[in-house]
Formats: sequence, structure tokens, C-alpha cells
Amino acid sequence: MKAVCWMSTGKMAVHDVPDPQIVNPHDAVLRITSTAICGSDLHLYDGYIPTMESGDVVGHEFMGIVEEVGPEVTNLKRGDRVVVPFTISCGNCFFCKKRLWSLCDNSNPNAQIAETMYGYSGSALFGYSHLYGGYAGGQAQYARVPFANVGPLKIENDLPDEKVLFLSDIFPTGYMAAENANIQPGDTVAVWGCGPVGLFAIASAYMMGAERVIAIDRFPERMRLARDYCGATTIDYTDNDVVVVEALRDLTGGMGPDCCIDAVGMEAHSNTLVGMYDKVKQAMRMETDRPFVLRQAIQAIRKGGTLSIPGVYGGAIDKVNFGAAFGKAIHMGMGQTHMHNYMEPLLKRIEGGEIDPSFLISHRVGIEEVPDMYKIWRDKQDQVTKIVIDPWQDRLGQPLAA
Amino acid sequence: MPEHVSRLDSGLPPFPAGAGKGAIFSPLPQDTTGGQMRAHTVQTIDADAQTLYKLWRDVSLAPRWMEYVVSAEPKSENVTHWVIGDPDEPKGMRIEYDTELVEDVPGEKISWRSIGDKIEEAGEVTFSKATNGRGTVVVLTESAKIPGGKLGMAVAAISKRSPRQIVIEDLRHFKQLAETGEIPNVCCNPHGPRGVSGEFKSRLYGENNPTPPGTSDLP
Repeated sequence: MKAVCWMSTGKMAVHDVPDPQIVNPHDAVLRITSTAICGSDLHLYDGYIPTMESGDVVGHEFMGIVEEVGPEVTNLKRGDRVVVPFTISCGNCFFCKKRLWSLCDNSNPNAQIAETMYGYSGSALFGYSHLYGGYAGGQAQYARVPFANVGPLKIENDLPDEKVLFLSDIFPTGYMAAENANIQPGDTVAVWGCGPVGLFAIASAYMMGAERVIAIDRFPERMRLARDYCGATTIDYTDNDVVVVEALRDLTGGMGPDCCIDAVGMEAHSNTLVGMYDKVKQAMRMETDRPFVLRQAIQAIRKGGTLSIPGVYGGAIDKVNFGAAFGKAIHMGMGQTHMHNYMEPLLKRIEGGEIDPSFLISHRVGIEEVPDMYKIWRDKQDQVTKIVIDPWQDRLGQPLAA
Repeated sequence: MPEHVSRLDSGLPPFPAGAGKGAIFSPLPQDTTGGQMRAHTVQTIDADAQTLYKLWRDVSLAPRWMEYVVSAEPKSENVTHWVIGDPDEPKGMRIEYDTELVEDVPGEKISWRSIGDKIEEAGEVTFSKATNGRGTVVVLTESAKIPGGKLGMAVAAISKRSPRQIVIEDLRHFKQLAETGEIPNVCCNPHGPRGVSGEFKSRLYGENNPTPPGTSDLP
């Protein structure tokens, strides 16, 4: 089959690799019909997630048709159409039973690496480094899905792939971000980053009763989606007259936002001196993450507010004003998304017409174009907001063999 | 503690000491000096002690969840013949030896030691009720003299896993099998060209570790 492989920092390539096989009794193999590039894939592309190796198949947002199931798979059969969560969960351990699916004890074959780095290992993820399990990802024509009784969500309507594909990660991730922000009806919410997760966090914040959402970004096309589709007020942080913390104070009657959401994570951009400092340290590998947004959110949030962090952090961060977090008694919520809690309820919202997640798609491409798309996606060229991939299409939109 | 373990470890404290109220925690020694390995590992497994005891006690199942066990044949009620090596390399090195049971308390404890002087190995596994209805706390303690001493240790560590990590992974596999009916496995993962350094490092990433197959038909 054809698959997108990480070859080295800044280099993705499409290779012919062996088709995946059923290995364990609870496995399924999917023929992938649609997949996408996630913002977090850029952390792989830019080389900030350790334990990536040349040849690793990437991609963790995918859906498709069940091709084959293992002997213990009871709720799926060949021909079923499913969306797959990006986290792999066994369904039986202490954490899965507590519905903390992304903290599953039993899915990561390389748990020892995560234990060394983090103390304990979370669940495995598709196509996201050996630290997170080393499972081949879904930017490919087929994928093996472990614990298929637990993860995949059956799609039994005729909604097109584009409307349900984002149940694989970004819609639930944006939704859990809003949930982690503990939004009360009438609250004002600030969201850093108008990428896909930020946009879904804005939409979800309104679903939870937020009165107003303020979004911070620098790309006109993203801020336009945030305003026009999601109803946010936008702040362009690259505007010379804007100081984000002051802008948020001005917009909230001097109190600061009740809830802040960092939908940016470890590769934050900033045009300030501190932003440059992070960039240099990260480039020299003296710091794994550039926590600029985290610092700003801690500064901006109102006293006793809740800070939610869906943006990915990988390791040690520097110069975070923890005193401010303590002094203002703020709450924090974070972590990989507990996907299985949100997929079905959010599918119902899509079916009910409450939201059409396809609003943010800007590019539809065949698999051979994906390596070029990574560059466009990283450099935010061509007004890109979301790239969806048909793994069975070539560069000209013609059908592709396996 | 079985006699053989005591001999290797000169007086291990009971473990986990300090679990009760008002007690002082005393750690087990855990080192790999001089070609001698002492390792312990702890897991909370969501199953009752009797079930876990039975799964462990059925030594013929060991190759399904223990790493580097090619076969484990019961020779009698108390003696097992082990063939240790990489099951994926039929022509690779094999170590064969026998162990005998030292203690066997159903639902609580199993301990064993090697017979003969080919290899010195001893171990103990205990099952005790976890707090808060979380199942069973399983503690695995093993000690062994590694053939080849320090050099053997180094080779073992570079080629696949360190012997101590094998002990840790074995109990993890046991938990995975008991809780889910399988052991997560990426040995047959499709991937593009690895390159020279990737080929070497993929060993460290478990991709080339011989993950035991697990089983779904638990006793």
C-alpha cells in the first residue's frame, strides 16, 4: 500500500510499504477512505517529538471501511463504515473504566520509553512516535486498528466523510478543551490559536453557554472563520498596537477572561523578545517547547479562572510564571483527548445539523501531494485551514492502485 | 524469601514494607552490578488474586506472555524445564535449565529457584488485595547471575532489552494479558525504509523485541 512516511525533520515521503495484517485477536484492518493532516503532525514534521524514526507511517485522523476483523472483534464486521479515534484504548484497565481513555494502561507496547520520560505511560496513539507506541498511522491506504471493539465509531448514516472525519481527533479535542475550561453560562472565554482545534473549541464554548469568545491568532483566513463561522471576536497579535494581555483586559471590563484555552502548544509564535528567546533555545534543543501562549494565558486569565490546554507539550518548559498561576489561584486542565467520551454525542450534534465540521476544509488532495502539503501547512501558505486526503487519488485526482 | 534468593541478596526486607499506616517505607535493593541482577516490579491488575495465581501457575502458558521464553515444560508437579532465548531466531543462542517450586500458596504467593549450577536464578511473585477495589497488587522479584558476568549484561542490554527491563516487561505483559486477553504488539508494523540508524534504534523501540503472542483463551 501507499503510505506517508516521516523520513527526517522536515521531510515526509510517500512509500510503498507492506499492507497491515491482523496481529492480535481484537484487531481490525481498515481500508481508509479519508484522512487528514493534524496541527500536531507539524510537531513531528518539525522534529520536536522524540523517538520518531525514518520510515514511520504518520497520520492519526482517519476513517474507512472495515476490511477484516480478528477473531475476538464482536461489534464490527467487514464492510462497516467507521471513524477511528486517534488514541488507542483497551477498554478494560482502571483508566478506561474511569473513562480516562487517553491514559489507557495496556495499549502502548513501548510504555517503558514513556515511563522513562513521564513517570507513567499514557495510551498509544496512531502514527505519533515510538514513545506513543510506534503504531503505523492513517495517512495511508490501510491501517491496523487494535482494540477494535472499543475505539471505532460506526457511521450508519449517509453523511459524507468530510462531515464526520473530524470526530477522529480535532472536534472532540476542541470540545474537551472547552469542557476542561469549566465554562459556566455567561462566561467570557479566550482561545489562543484559530487552527482546527481552536475553532472547534470556540464553537464548543458557545454550545456550553459562553456569552462571548475572544480568539487570538495572526492569519486573516483563520480569524475570518473564527468570526464568521464560530462567532468569536478576534485579536491579531501581530498588530503593532496590540498587547494581548491588555486587549483581553480591555475586552473583559478589566477582569480578564473567565476561561482561557491554549490551542497552540509547544510551537507558539511570538513577535516579542521572549518569543525570540524561546525560538533560539528550542532550535538549540535547550528547551523542547516554546510555551509563549501558556505564559500569556496565565498572565491574562482572571483570578480563580480555569486554563485549559489542548495544545500539545512534549517536555521541559522554561520561564513560566508559576507564581502568577498560584497567586491567582487558577485551575488547569490538560491532556490528550478522552476521545471515546465525545465521539458519539458529537456525531449526534452533526446528524442534528447543529454543526457541520467540514466548514474549515481548505484543501482536498491525493496522497502523493501530502509531502508538499506538510510544507504548506507548516508555513500557513495558500490560506490553508485544513487539509483532507483521499489516499486512493493521485496528483491529478485519478484513482490510484494500492 | 526462598533460600536461593536470600543467598544472592543477603537479607531482602519484606516488600512492600511500609504499605500500612504509620510504617516506614523500605525499598528493595535493585541493581545489576557484577553480573548479578536483582529486579522487582509492581503492578495493580484488575482481576482477583485466584485468577491471577492460576494464570501464573500454569507454566506451560509462560511463553505466551514472558519474553525470551521459547518453551516451559512441566517435568513434574514442582519442576519445570525452561528454554530461554529469542523465539524469533530459531538458530540463536538457547539457555536451558530447570527450576523447582520453593513455595506455592494458592492465591497468595509462588516462589522458585533454579536447580543445578548452570544458571543461578530465583524469583517470587506475590498476590495481595489492592485498596479501593482496584483488584490485585502483584509484586515480582527476581534475581539471577547472568552468564558472562558484566560483559554478558552489556551484550544483553545492547542487543535487545536489559535483563532487568525484561522482568518489568514480563509483569506488564502479564497484566495486559489478564486485563485485555492480548499483548499489544508492533512487531509486524508496516513502515518505510528505516535507514542505518533507524534499523539499529528500532530495537530499542520494541519493534524488534520478540513480543510474546498472548492468548485469548485464558483458563
